[in-house]
Amino acid sequence: MLGIDTKIKRGSGELAILALLNQEPLHGYEISKRIAQVTGGVLQFNLASLYPLLYRMEKRGWVKGKWEEAKSGRKRRYYHLTRNGKKQLAPLRQEWGLFFQALHRIAGVAHAG
Amino acid sequence: MPDNQGLIRERLGRLGLETRREEEIVRELSEHLADHAAALEARGVARDAAAREALDSVSNWPELRNEILSAETEEATMNYQMTYRTKVLWLPALVALTLSSSLLAIFQFSGLVPRFYWLSKTGMSVHPFFTFYLPWLIALPLIGAVAAFWSQRAGGKAIHRLLAALAPPIGMLGFFLITPFITLLVYMLIPLFAKGSGHTRVPLTLHAPPMIGVLVVLVSWVLLPAVGLFLGALPFLRKHQPQS
Repeated sequence: MLGIDTKIKRGSGELAILALLNQEPLHGYEISKRIAQVTGGVLQFNLASLYPLLYRMEKRGWVKGKWEEAKSGRKRRYYHLTRNGKKQLAPLRQEWGLFFQALHRIAGVAHAG
Repeated sequence: MPDNQGLIRERLGRLGLETRREEEIVRELSEHLADHAAALEARGVARDAAAREALDSVSNWPELRNEILSAETEEATMNYQMTYRTKVLWLPALVALTLSSSLLAIFQFSGLVPRFYWLSKTGMSVHPFFTFYLPWLIALPLIGAVAAFWSQRAGGKAIHRLLAALAPPIGMLGFFLITPFITLLVYMLIPLFAKGSGHTRVPLTLHAPPMIGVLVVLVSWVLLPAVGLFLGALPFLRKHQPQS
């Protein structure tokens, strides 16, 4: 059974990854770097937390990894958002919006959305 | 440059996945470590120290191994797939089936007489006939549209939308296919029950159904309904527009 902390981290990570890949395909390291950059380091995913999440999302058919040549010339596994993944974005955004609204109501935690 | 792949294999151990998938995972993690180390080097960390620090960023390799295995094989993934299929296929298909059979039942109970078209020149003693419940056939495109739209809203692919819309004739076809076997089973069971009751045994004689009769039934109850449902589903079979 997953702890609530793990669930929250996994859930937020899924939304963050889907939102990033909705802009462009990225490989794992770029995803973790971009998440840290965009969130000012609040959300951080390292190798151990990122890849199980990506593999889980891939199994669900939300993302699809393809080996492609990076700018550096090295082959990297780029993750592409699938049509199914795109469809998850809106409900996930809504879910998290509601979650933060609820937290705001109960504990005065303001949400950015 | 350290052999990241070897180091990762050593720490993760055998995952027990397909060799190709396992190699892919190790290669991908190794590329990640190489990028991490390169980023540290760019910040002035010495090459060896950067490689070590990148490797040490994973504090618990057995846990990572478990997490990867869980992600690759977890029940939740299978449950998710099942939920997904239920949402995009089984539920809309059930709706189409329920709507179509309820509507047919309502028409029948309300005394609506179907149109019969007899085939007289078949050379058979009993003439087969087409049965058309016209109002029901006219309503089917709407039911097909509802099922396909439902599946589309749930995120179903074109094949899911099509199958959901065509569930009633598919179900009917299945029924026609298994009916001969059920009849045969009943014929085989009758003598068992008749044995002690003094009734005479019913001789088992099998006749292949006349082809024209089968075709007439298929056209009336499978093909025509399928066309109606398909026409209704058609607008929803095109490429899905992503939600804003």
